[in-house]
Amino acid sequence: MSIWELFVKSFVEDGGYKEVLRGLAVTLVTAICALIIGIILGTIVAFTQIAKGKGPILRFFKGFFKVYVSIFRGTPIAVQLLFIYFVIFPAIGLGLMKAEIVGLIIFGLNSGAYVSEIMRGGILSVDKGQSEAGRALGLNNTQTMLKIVVPQAVKNVIPTIGNEFISLLKETSVLSFIGVMDLTKAFREIGSANYEYTIPYLILAISYLVLVFIASGIVKLIERRMRASDNR
Amino acid sequence: MIIAKNIYKSFGKVSVLNGISCEIKKGEKVVIIGPSGSGKSTFLRCMNLLETPTNGEIWFDDKLINEVDPYLHDDLIEKSNTCKKLIQSNIDTESALLKIKEEKLLKKYEGKEFRLAVKEFTKANHIDINFARRKVGMVFQHFNLFNNLTVLQNLTLAPVQLKIKTKEQAEEKAMALLKRIGLEEKANAYPSTLSGGQKQRIAIIRALAMEPDVMLFDEPTSALDPEMVGEVLELMKDLANEGMTMVVVTHEMGFAKEVASRILFMDGGVIKEENSPKEFFSNPKDLRLKEFLSKVL
Ligand SMILES: Nc1ncnc2c1ncn2[C@@H]1O[C@H](COP(=O)(O)OP(=O)(O)OP(=O)(O)O)[C@@H](O)[C@H]1O
Ligand SMILES: [Mg+2]
Repeated sequence: MSIWELFVKSFVEDGGYKEVLRGLAVTLVTAICALIIGIILGTIVAFTQIAKGKGPILRFFKGFFKVYVSIFRGTPIAVQLLFIYFVIFPAIGLGLMKAEIVGLIIFGLNSGAYVSEIMRGGILSVDKGQSEAGRALGLNNTQTMLKIVVPQAVKNVIPTIGNEFISLLKETSVLSFIGVMDLTKAFREIGSANYEYTIPYLILAISYLVLVFIASGIVKLIERRMRASDNR
Repeated sequence: MIIAKNIYKSFGKVSVLNGISCEIKKGEKVVIIGPSGSGKSTFLRCMNLLETPTNGEIWFDDKLINEVDPYLHDDLIEKSNTCKKLIQSNIDTESALLKIKEEKLLKKYEGKEFRLAVKEFTKANHIDINFARRKVGMVFQHFNLFNNLTVLQNLTLAPVQLKIKTKEQAEEKAMALLKRIGLEEKANAYPSTLSGGQKQRIAIIRALAMEPDVMLFDEPTSALDPEMVGEVLELMKDLANEGMTMVVVTHEMGFAKEVASRILFMDGGVIKEENSPKEFFSNPKDLRLKEFLSKVL
């Protein structure tokens, strides 16, 4: 059998495509959920970091988040997966949690660290005069943030958030470190069925390329929409 | 309407305002001039607490809008531990007060009686700054129109958010104001599509949409191309003629001469001279002012 025939056999006849589809779903779901967790978490962290005030609670959270961001930005995601899944979760009694869920949480935490920096930059990039004008009209800090600063910040960060999503898509390929059947692992299984990896890994690479291509297209579309909506 | 009492402001180690007192009365048009860096903007921004004074008090309509400055209240100082101690050591009350004020002797904690007195004074006189700001319009050098909102939304945001008007009422008022400056057709445009003069006139009516009692202007024409200065000054003159109380920082001497009821000259963080426009320009006394006028006139 040629390597192509070998691939077709394990992909179609032995049902490998089912694994691949499931793996694709896991990859996409992990990336999307991680981004959502990341945006929520990152926004909370960013607002805490730029909040003014000297209260002990605020100071505690500022310190806590600073440590969180340094750890998650300062270590490789693969190490985070291994350490949290095999060491921390069992230690706190969560050793039986499904690897897919743990992976998703860890990617969310990881993304939150990066998004917090993006959001902070986005908020700080809005001209100070914008919030001053809001405050001078009598709006309080929250109203000024929600109605004036955040909408402009979000617009500024959309391209960067898009890049973050593309990174996430690719980085999820290390999920197999904790045994999750993602796109990468699905193709590896097909390859190892008859020790022939050329075609599976080629298609794997192409699949990521296509995913990234589609994701970039969507980001560009959103950007263009936002620009058209207020033709600045 | 606005009373500034002995305002000091420093940024870190740099002291920018060094004891400014002045009163803006209803209907007055006060113009502030002075060399660059003399603290004009900082003082103006203290009036609506965009900058918090380091010392001193700002009163708006007989209400205190920043923190109590105990050094301005003898009756408060008298309740402090420091003052009590001084009096115990056989100094009479008057000299004790003087000494404390001169040498800034009050500490963070001055005893329960002092703290309670400050609290009580605050309760009786203080109002929330967000409330005061509704009645104090401000116009900035760089317009600061909200970039993410249309002109109409810029004009209605605050009145609607603060529940002063319904959306319909606010829009009606906004359209009337736009009509007044001849820019109705820009209601749905975004600020980025407007000229500087248009932006600044809209910034002015954005403040007017809150129906303020007093308007603060910080060099409203300095960022404009020369051909657009006129339209903004015209609008400001109209406001002045309608009786609006105005405080204007500007380099437009013609405007000052024509509109001001009083001109303040600031230099080095203090008011060096204060006079009616006529006296101010024809008979300046302060040396720095003479120098300044010879340069700008
Ligand atoms: N936020 C700030 N932080 C530090 N220094 C400041 C700040 N704002 C103002 N200053 C300093 O305070 C001084 C007075 O500034 P201010 O803007 O009040 O002057 P001005 O009289 O308005 O000058 P100009 O005519 O140039 O507008 C300047 O030396 C400025 O550098
Ligand atoms: Mg200034």
